[in-house]
Amino acid sequence: MRVYLRYAVKETLANLWRNRMMTIAAVLTVAVSLSLVGAALLLKQSAAQASAQWQQGTRVTVWMQPNASTSELANVRSQLATLPIVKDCVFNSQAQDYQEAKRILPQSEWSVLSVSDVPSSFRCVPTVPSDAFVVMSTFKNEPGVYNVTAPEQQIRQMNSAIRILQIVFLALAGVLLLSATVLILNTIRMAIFARRREVSVMKLVGATNWFIRIPYITEGFIQGLLGSLVAVLAVTALHTWYPLHNEFQLDTTALLGTNLVVLVVGVVIGSVGSALAIRRFLDV
Amino acid sequence: MIRFENVSKTYKNGTPALKDISLDIAKGEFVFLVGASGSGKTTFLRLLLREELPDRGRILEAGRDISELSKWRVPYLRRNIGCVFQDFRLLPNKSVFENVAFALEVIGRPRSTIESQVPQILELVGLSDKAKNLPNELSGGEQQRVAVARAFFNRPLILLADEPTGNLDPTNSESIMALLERINRTGTTVVMATHDKALVDRMRRRVIELDHGEMVRDQVRGVYGIDEPMEIR
Repeated sequence: MRVYLRYAVKETLANLWRNRMMTIAAVLTVAVSLSLVGAALLLKQSAAQASAQWQQGTRVTVWMQPNASTSELANVRSQLATLPIVKDCVFNSQAQDYQEAKRILPQSEWSVLSVSDVPSSFRCVPTVPSDAFVVMSTFKNEPGVYNVTAPEQQIRQMNSAIRILQIVFLALAGVLLLSATVLILNTIRMAIFARRREVSVMKLVGATNWFIRIPYITEGFIQGLLGSLVAVLAVTALHTWYPLHNEFQLDTTALLGTNLVVLVVGVVIGSVGSALAIRRFLDV
Repeated sequence: MIRFENVSKTYKNGTPALKDISLDIAKGEFVFLVGASGSGKTTFLRLLLREELPDRGRILEAGRDISELSKWRVPYLRRNIGCVFQDFRLLPNKSVFENVAFALEVIGRPRSTIESQVPQILELVGLSDKAKNLPNELSGGEQQRVAVARAFFNRPLILLADEPTGNLDPTNSESIMALLERINRTGTTVVMATHDKALVDRMRRRVIELDHGEMVRDQVRGVYGIDEPMEIR
């Protein structure tokens, strides 16, 4: 067993080194495609997390002017209370909204705000979700009202944008993964071709089939692994440094899960590529 | 040691390679396989190595039907069969020592065994002083002796030689033959396909002649030519 391990390691490294340009090409293709896969996965999770947070409770927000008078506030409040299409309303004072801004916005943005700049708001749940638009048009021009927003609609727009982006990423990644498999297949084929004399002697003297095959399998495996490790670095860097608002920021569990997927896919791609090459070109 | 029972083999393109061959080769025998090119000699050897399977009939080696051998056991069968070819089949980028060592390494022999066995076997074939040379620095005869060393290191039960003297001058042919005889005397069954008439005539060993896939002669102490009196067993 020890003899074999040494032999397999030596053969694998020699093959990788002999085909180093092809190896680099294969590894980079795996890395780029898996980075795209990882980015798409992160994007999807971020969007899901953000929309889940936004959809909790509030569906329509009536933002008052920061300097709205008490009577204007009372007017809007009583209207909201009496309208049958509004089920429930919560009032957020300027101080409360300031705290929320502090939580959501990056420091560079909220630090220039003071409590008196922030609008107070009514967070309302319409009886039927589609009534959000009626609420919007009703209150938009009410005195003292700054704006009425329905996150539902924006979330929907954002989600569909993200979905398109995700499909594009995954389609690109699919094409690249396919070419990565073919590249790995080709490097293994070249390795087999370079060693065809050795292989024929090995068969002649009775080396077992797996003895002959394993160095080529590990070669593909290592190419896939190296590529996915590069992709893991890229995905982690993206997660760590890309400036995202708090709602989008994922915890480390999500990052670990994504990286695990990236690693597994890379290793599978490498192994499949070499297995195909062995089936087709290594006649044992 | 080797038994063919009504063995026939036809290749996919329809050329019959062997037709209904039945024969017995005892342990320790030295057999010449003669016949024109395309008479089926190489197919005969390939069947023994289980590189091909017969279409009909059975081939037994050491009492075992090799067609029934599962695929993963074929390598172990081959460890008991040494092989020598006309074109030597040495690895050009490895030294004489490494060529023989490679064959031991790939069947999983530990380094210590290799270090002790390879010099012994090189001594046997008379190449101790060439251990560090590359194959292209050797004469044809020397290269073939390396190939014999590689085939014999495992003390195989059977040694197959496919025209081993085909690329050699008479002197080198003699030395290879002497080597094969020595190996034969240790109890290894030797089957040698050849075109070398002088050699067969001089050795006076069993001769099996194939012609278009049929066994036309099996002579105990035979000669190459077919104009000699025949003694069919």
